[in-house]
Amino acid sequence: MAKLTLYDYELDDQCYKVRLFLGALGCLYDKVAVDVHPGSEHRSARYLRLNPLGALPILTEADLTIYGAEAILTYLALKYDTARVWLPEKPETFGRIMQWLAFSGSILSAASIARAHALFEIEADETKVYRKARLAFRLMEDHMTKQQFDDTFWFIGNTATIVDIALFPNIALSRDFGVDHDEYPALRRWMAHVRGIPGFITMPGIPAYH
Amino acid sequence: MSFSGGWYPVALSNQLEPATSAGTRLFDREICIWRDSDGGVHAWEDRCPHRGMRLSFGFVRGDRIACLYHGWQYDMQGRCRFIPAHPQLDVPSTIRVATYPCIDRLGMVWMCSDLKMEMPLDLPIDRRDIAPVRSLYVDCAPIATMQALSARSECTVLAGGALISIHAGPQNMIAGFQPFGKGKTALHIVFLGSPEQYPGNARRSAAVWAEELRHDLEREPVPDTAPAGSYEAAPWRS
Repeated sequence: MAKLTLYDYELDDQCYKVRLFLGALGCLYDKVAVDVHPGSEHRSARYLRLNPLGALPILTEADLTIYGAEAILTYLALKYDTARVWLPEKPETFGRIMQWLAFSGSILSAASIARAHALFEIEADETKVYRKARLAFRLMEDHMTKQQFDDTFWFIGNTATIVDIALFPNIALSRDFGVDHDEYPALRRWMAHVRGIPGFITMPGIPAYH
Repeated sequence: MSFSGGWYPVALSNQLEPATSAGTRLFDREICIWRDSDGGVHAWEDRCPHRGMRLSFGFVRGDRIACLYHGWQYDMQGRCRFIPAHPQLDVPSTIRVATYPCIDRLGMVWMCSDLKMEMPLDLPIDRRDIAPVRSLYVDCAPIATMQALSARSECTVLAGGALISIHAGPQNMIAGFQPFGKGKTALHIVFLGSPEQYPGNARRSAAVWAEELRHDLEREPVPDTAPAGSYEAAPWRS
């Protein structure tokens, strides 16, 4: 089998999404550390050849190069989760998974920008991205509040899917940019369950216990 | 006139599971609430005496909570009992965290806003069969939220402002009122009745109703008599 290679930056929340899922799948992979900050190596010619957007994560396997956390999660689920637990094929479930992955790639990305702004001094309209990030967390909280009435701990259905993996890091790391978890009781309970996924891994800012 | 010191709800009981901790605020003071492994609830000043780290970031093991930074462990009375860096040390009794009176009632975690006050929690309603709906965090000052709720026909203010009785349709809900801080209020909403009486779909509708209430409250203009962020002039507490 061709080897999986993840081009990775340890402090990047998007890269963590992929590391988290690789851990949950129990996949072995090579990790290439990219000097994002302060080196901006991800914007060098070498990495622009892999991802013209100049962003991590990037995954390669044999001749395949794929970038973007949500795309990589989808690829890994289809390829390595033969039981189809993480990405069920049932149209209703699949459709909702795509809906939340789009959420992850759009409004929730404000949380990644706010964090990069706070940690790495990346330029951003602070008021705007903070408002947007808090709105995204509120929508997640409202959703998980209602999921509890169906006695489920997960975003969709009764088992963990790639949506739980894609949405966890931004809220788990929100204290990095000064947003506490005080207002998100349903997300706190959900995060405790994500921490219990077999193969769960930590990163700086996300301890295992809570 | 102002919000008087006293008991306020700070969480729904079912959202604070055994052996977990959470941060919250009362009048902008940072509070750590935690539930020990035996189910007892605790409300403390949210600061480890060692380095000032928020204790709510820490972890609960049995009847103790430990700080995330250096693992200092505190017993249920707030007294430091173990310092991992000095395992042999008999920890001085002066190392302790300020603790507030704290109790489970009406499906909510209540704390007394005053460290020294010894007044019992006296509520006009006392029931054990409670179906929790949700905690609603509203970006609206406590005063303005209270005034807006008082003006709504479906709401009745009880218990000096700590509880709001809500008659939305045929259902009777109660909301615990938490003056969170400047520009923010929390409402802890429950049904008076068993979870069997109010199954998932009833609570789901109530949660949607609450989302719409939040939308309205955040849109309503702040009355002139209640400047945003002020805790003063609370007529319902006269």
